[in-house]
Amino acid sequence: MNCEEATKLMDGYLDGELDAITNQAIEQHLRECAACAQTYKAHGSFVSAIGNAAPYYKAPAGLRERIQASLRKEIGERSTSNGARDNRPSVSGSEASPRSVGSGISWNWLALAAAIVFGAIMASNFVPRIRRSEGDQFLATELIASHVRSLMATHLTDVTSTDQHTVKPWLDTKLDFAPPVVDLSSEGFPLIGGRLDYLDNRPAAVLVYQRRKHYINLFVWPVDANANKETNPISRQGYHLLNWTDSDFNYWAVSDVNADDLQILKQQFEAKTSHH
Amino acid sequence: MALPLRKDDAFATADSEQGSKIVNFTVVRERQEAAHSPEVLASFEAIMLPHLDAAYSLARWLVRNQEDAQDVVQEAYMRAFRSFGGFRGGNGRAWLLTIVRNTSYTLLKKNGAVDTSTSFDEEIHASAYESVSPVTVLERSEDAELIEAAMDELPVEFREILVMRHQEGLSYKEIAGIAQIPQGTVMSRLARARARLKECLAGQIGKEK
Repeated sequence: MNCEEATKLMDGYLDGELDAITNQAIEQHLRECAACAQTYKAHGSFVSAIGNAAPYYKAPAGLRERIQASLRKEIGERSTSNGARDNRPSVSGSEASPRSVGSGISWNWLALAAAIVFGAIMASNFVPRIRRSEGDQFLATELIASHVRSLMATHLTDVTSTDQHTVKPWLDTKLDFAPPVVDLSSEGFPLIGGRLDYLDNRPAAVLVYQRRKHYINLFVWPVDANANKETNPISRQGYHLLNWTDSDFNYWAVSDVNADDLQILKQQFEAKTSHH
Repeated sequence: MALPLRKDDAFATADSEQGSKIVNFTVVRERQEAAHSPEVLASFEAIMLPHLDAAYSLARWLVRNQEDAQDVVQEAYMRAFRSFGGFRGGNGRAWLLTIVRNTSYTLLKKNGAVDTSTSFDEEIHASAYESVSPVTVLERSEDAELIEAAMDELPVEFREILVMRHQEGLSYKEIAGIAQIPQGTVMSRLARARARLKECLAGQIGKEK
């Protein structure tokens, strides 16, 4: 690899978006070329700095309610009116031509019947595959629900502290196990606090980490001797779930940060806990 | 040389539900959508409302004021709801952000605020960049206000890609899907956006003097 290629691929490399072979070629070049190594280092610092600094605009209070009200109005309108639509604020003018709802009821039943038949056919085709992973899928649903709930209200943390020595004793007194707690600030995952949860029919500790403007919930509970296996990473609805285990505990990281970030969290977490 | 991006990125959907439960789910849901039942609404809200902050943040960075951003997000949710039957499961956030982005552009075009041929004056910024040392730029790059001011100067296609990557942590694949550009273009545009941001930061620092 020459300097021109290395420069062209710099952002892809720093974002962890290149394949392993290209990564190796770049790293080889950086060992040989001090100028490029310096450029990469400086640009890397800049990239992580802007990630931390750029302000994140949270939705203003009331927007959620406003949207929910419009959505309810939309449903009410469809089922009660005969196609007359009022002028709701619209950015684009009127798109989405009104559908005929004149024969709404009979269409409803027809659609429902069709859906049931179709659904039954599809379900019968896929039953074996569903069954195989339905335990994991159910757990994944629980984990995502808990993650989403934790961000909705003010229930992200029960104990808010960036100090692992505050979070750990708090969790230890509330649980019948002592989960490992490490701060990963220097790795780009500052610890925000801890929380208790109840998942998969057992109490769980939740460690809350931040990554850029996003939160990661790391669920921890003791390994079950009977079901000691790691589940493959799951992605659903824009959330990523990463599972791993060590000799004592089962871990599930859940977040809307990308899957690579969760892998990094896992590596850093394992690196720090293995010294204990 | 190897392809800059993983080959399997192009078609990989890391969605373990696909091909199993979700198929059934989506089919049923699509048929119900014609009648817009409360059940569809509940499922729509469960999947899409958690991404409200992401939607608002992108809209806010694109249209650059609170009121318009709120209108855009509301409109985007309505559009998303009407075409929810077309949502095949998988990444709800990326799907919603695609609609938010399109709605933002509709507004920007309507207001004549977006000139797609935006020419960025490289001369001016390049000269500012030379007068402020790269070390100073780096030192100041954690200053939120400065970053915000510098980002505001960028053309809209650079702003959006920086927001998608740095704030949402989206992968190149997800960004490619939302902005409807190839993944290779995501990398090169992100590189140019960051380079411009550096220049704008230098410009902002230069102004302070």
